[in-house]
Amino acid sequence: MNLALPFAHALVAKQDLPIPAWLFAWAASIVLVVSFFALSAAWRKPQFEDERWRPSAAWLTAVLRSWPLQVLCGGLAVFLLGVGVYSGIHGTEAPDRNFAITFFFVTVWIGFPFASALLGNVFPIFNPWRAIARVVGGAYGFVARRRPGHLAYPEKLGRWPAAIGLLAFVWLEVIYGSSGGVAVGLEPHAAGVAACVYTVYTLAMMALFGTEVWCSRGEIFSVFFGMFATLAPFGAKEGRIGRRRPLAAATRWVAEVPGSTAVVIASIASTSFDGAEDGAYKSGLEHVGKWFSDAGVGPLATIRITDSIFMIATVLAVAGVYLLGVKGMRSVPGAPAFRELQRGFAHTLIPIALAYLVAHYFSLFVYQEQAQFTYLLSDPLGTSTTDLFGTAEYGIDFSALGSNLIWYVQVAALIVGHVLGLTLAHDRALVYWSDYRRASRSQYWMLAVMVAFTCFGLYLLSVGGA
Amino acid sequence: MGETTIAGLALPLAHIGHWLWVFYVLPVLIVIGGIIRSTRAEKRREREDKD
Repeated sequence: MNLALPFAHALVAKQDLPIPAWLFAWAASIVLVVSFFALSAAWRKPQFEDERWRPSAAWLTAVLRSWPLQVLCGGLAVFLLGVGVYSGIHGTEAPDRNFAITFFFVTVWIGFPFASALLGNVFPIFNPWRAIARVVGGAYGFVARRRPGHLAYPEKLGRWPAAIGLLAFVWLEVIYGSSGGVAVGLEPHAAGVAACVYTVYTLAMMALFGTEVWCSRGEIFSVFFGMFATLAPFGAKEGRIGRRRPLAAATRWVAEVPGSTAVVIASIASTSFDGAEDGAYKSGLEHVGKWFSDAGVGPLATIRITDSIFMIATVLAVAGVYLLGVKGMRSVPGAPAFRELQRGFAHTLIPIALAYLVAHYFSLFVYQEQAQFTYLLSDPLGTSTTDLFGTAEYGIDFSALGSNLIWYVQVAALIVGHVLGLTLAHDRALVYWSDYRRASRSQYWMLAVMVAFTCFGLYLLSVGGA
Repeated sequence: MGETTIAGLALPLAHIGHWLWVFYVLPVLIVIGGIIRSTRAEKRREREDKD
């Protein structure tokens, strides 16, 4: 028997905690302050600037880069994208029963960041648009007897298209989708159409600028997942897979390309907004929404306009807190230019972006993946007409995770993420200020940023709605 | 958080939930306060060293 629950981001309400949630914020702040002093005292030379990359066994690279595996994974990805689009457009309109919603917004959107942070950049091999573009490019080369020509990508744009695309994706999921009134979540039909539109847009951009260039700059998913992959202890260099110091690759990810800071900030802000929409922002949203409805704006437009305003405000607030920290660092003698500092420290927010993802979506991921691999796989359309694997009647076991366990995972993720952020920041400060005392002094401000983000994150979780 | 009764007295605690955010802001303020204080102290020390 399936449990037909409204699809919602599972910020499980913490009602039975042994101590109040705000006490965790105090404890987390103390952990950060203690870590800060430990780093100041004991960490006097940069450790992450060098990846210390070591190649792994040659056969591993050969297998992972082999044509059969690329074709298999690429083909599977294209097939699953097709299933998602088809079930979105032709399947049930109940978001929790349709393959498309869980596949796009949970399995892919949340699953790949987790996998990338652990295993490295695994998405390119599963990127359906890259697979299509490579096949088309190969066929063109075969027929025309020359490689396809591309426009030069305007480097000033950097990763800005991905940052804007990231916000647009979350807007579609959270704001456009929250208009149903009864069932929370995007209508599968809209998700299917959006996937088609995005496919056309991505393939056009790949044709214009080249597949790999677009994947590294503008393709939302490649950039977003690739950002988390920089935290992983595995990575490729000159076509060879190898091991490296965890977090070390992040030190170069932001500094080299414009718009990268925007991607990290958009990631934290969009997750925060998603978490706050049904909890911390609820009364504010209702309050502002009332102005619009009093002014004669329709109910649907009111929800979308108000949510959009709050989402933009969240992006500005997250960016503001970070830039305030950078401004504070500028006041320390010997500091480089503001722009340099702003780029130089943005990678320290990547572990926080991951921590926010884990904290906000861990339980949702565990619950929805049960659905993904049972009834959604057997009955992708959700119309009870197919039972491909005999699992169409399965349901989600909500007792798989206790509410206390979820809470501890969330708190642990936030604390570990922020301590790692603090460590990366301290490490980078030692590059800019050779005197470790000055480096530590500059990091007072990043400590404030980290404590603010930690408390904000815990606050969002403590008042989380549905 | 609704109405809590202590020795027959009903305490009006229904709205305390709206103010819980204060507990989350306090550690941030304490850290910022500490930063400002130690930065000032350090600058004063530097000035004194120069003099």
